[in-house]
Amino acid sequence: MAHILLVDDEAALTGVLQPVLTAAGHHVAIAASAADAIAGADRLQPDVVLLDLGLPDADGKSVIRTLRIKQDMPIIVISARHQEAEKIAALDEGADDYVDKPFEIGELMARIPVALRRTRCPDTASHYRSGPLAIDFATRHVTLDGAPVHLSPQEYDLLLALARHAGRVVTHKRLLAAGWGAGSADTQYLRVYMGLLRQKIETDPSDPKLLLTEPGVGYRLAPSEA
Amino acid sequence: MAPGRPEIDPPLPAAAGPRLGIGVRALALTTAIMAATTFAAFLARPARGEASGALIFVVGITLAGATLGLCAALVAATVSFLLYNFYFAEPVLTFRFGAVEDFVPLIIFNLSAVISGVLAGRVRDQAAAAAAANRSLGALLQISRLLQSALHREDIEQALASPAAAAAGVRLLPAAPPATRDGDGSEAIAAGTSTVALIGHVHDLDTYRVECGGDAIELAVAHGPPYEAVGETLGSALANLVALAMERARLSERIAETEAAARTEALKTALLSSVSHDFRTPLATISASASSLIDYGDRLEREVADGFLRSIVEESERLNRFTANLLQMTRLEAGRPLASAEIVSVSDMLSAAVRRLRPRAGARRIERHESEDRYVRADAALFELALLNVLENAILYSPDGSRIAITLTGQDGMALIDIADEGRGIPRGELARVFDRFYRVDASEQMPRGSGLGLAIAKGFVQACGGMISAEIPGLDGRGTRIRIRLPLAEVP
Repeated sequence: MAHILLVDDEAALTGVLQPVLTAAGHHVAIAASAADAIAGADRLQPDVVLLDLGLPDADGKSVIRTLRIKQDMPIIVISARHQEAEKIAALDEGADDYVDKPFEIGELMARIPVALRRTRCPDTASHYRSGPLAIDFATRHVTLDGAPVHLSPQEYDLLLALARHAGRVVTHKRLLAAGWGAGSADTQYLRVYMGLLRQKIETDPSDPKLLLTEPGVGYRLAPSEA
Repeated sequence: MAPGRPEIDPPLPAAAGPRLGIGVRALALTTAIMAATTFAAFLARPARGEASGALIFVVGITLAGATLGLCAALVAATVSFLLYNFYFAEPVLTFRFGAVEDFVPLIIFNLSAVISGVLAGRVRDQAAAAAAANRSLGALLQISRLLQSALHREDIEQALASPAAAAAGVRLLPAAPPATRDGDGSEAIAAGTSTVALIGHVHDLDTYRVECGGDAIELAVAHGPPYEAVGETLGSALANLVALAMERARLSERIAETEAAARTEALKTALLSSVSHDFRTPLATISASASSLIDYGDRLEREVADGFLRSIVEESERLNRFTANLLQMTRLEAGRPLASAEIVSVSDMLSAAVRRLRPRAGARRIERHESEDRYVRADAALFELALLNVLENAILYSPDGSRIAITLTGQDGMALIDIADEGRGIPRGELARVFDRFYRVDASEQMPRGSGLGLAIAKGFVQACGGMISAEIPGLDGRGTRIRIRLPLAEVP
């Protein structure tokens, strides 16, 4: 249950999303322009913003930039722009996640609690658990069904970066920075290391359930269960 | 020369060679010169004697020859002889043809007449030839100027068929395209990707064939009189110039083709991004509505669930309209928009369009103003689509609760449809461009609400009907946009 600011100028879509989100137990406010969105976020202090990138008065990315100056609430981008560059740009501006149009309501509903977790139970979380995989952040201990998994420092750093944002997409750029420091390696390394990680943590590395690829954008670790 | 080729007809009026005829003017002048000469001889005679008189006649004859030519000189010589014999030679005032020496003046007079006349004739011929050469060169220069500025094959043909070309003895010949004939084994001069061949050399007429990339031009260059100035060298230079012009024409054609291809490519890209966006936006609503009904159907109020179903229907309709836009665009591109034209009532069309768009109009008030119905000849589906597109634009770009006024009148045999709104309007400088495909007034509007096809289709339709469409500002009450459509009224049987 959260206060949601839904920013989209497509009346047909907001007309559907508002009652469903309400039925799911959320409070929903609607903004149809960038100006409305910024004013609404200021006034309502929503827990999460669902933001369409194509607004009549400005690019949605500029809304993310403006909101991020003052506020840290999760922002989920909902966009019909499927270009990777657009998604990466939105994530770089500070968006937490994105959902491609068209989407099924379940997909959106699943992203909201994941995004909320960042602000509601921030980095103080001491561990990550999803299916057989468990990570203890304090001891840097990784186990799979209780059996210890041996990771190289770099593999652990990458896994940690993903686990800290569990359930959300982490861009190539951020992962590279986590593993090798800012702007040092190319995505080729990343691909190799993710392959290695999958070998170690996935039951079937060819059909990953935990470490998911977001093509052209980055990777996503399954949300933590506790 | 191959049969059937047109002869070069010498068009020059200027006669060549020594002038043999003697005009009235020349005769009068000769008479004047002779009169003056005789007078001078009379004056000189008492003091200088008979011989000086003869010399003065020689001067007169030379003068006549130099200025008026051989004929006048011979006339002058004969007259001089008679005058000299009668008035100056002893015995005076009688004709004497007795002794041989009586004819000496006649011989001398005629000799000087011939010499002066021939010399003068040669000078005059040379001057005439120089003038002709000048004309030819000037004409050649003009042809080369025309050829240098030629960008298309037609320009080249025009240059070779120009009066300048005729004046220079250059003639364009009908040429068969290459590969059907060879260069007759004559010398071919390579000039880049084009070839220049001298394919005929008959008397004073050279025929050149210039080939360049599947195209050929043949030209005949005369260099006999009066076109001596053109000569063989200039002829081949001219042929080379034609070759260069053809190469340039070919290159510029290629550039145009490349540009057209690039435009098509840009259009495709725009079309694809438009398709992806325009399909996804209604699909997002459809998918969200349907999945919500599946997942949350039991928790939704009855009217909310009905609203979702209505959304699905409406958005499907929108998808359908977008598909229709794409289809009609291709039909308009193919140029057969009137294939299924019929006489339709404009009022009916407007009603249908308003009815279909009413659900999307929100609280906007759509007003209709019309005194009587009008009939036009049009494809009904395309007409409705055009009206839908214009109306949808008015809805999309105007605030909720504003007015949209539709006026139907008749004017000068045209049905006049005005659709005006109170929206944000269009900057004056961009009024004409709103009908361009994928053009949007606000380029920063990265995910636009329209497809960018709507007004382009409206324009395509209106033009196909022989009508006009324009965007004007302001629309209503000093703001907004007014789209004005004029369609020729149909004869109602």
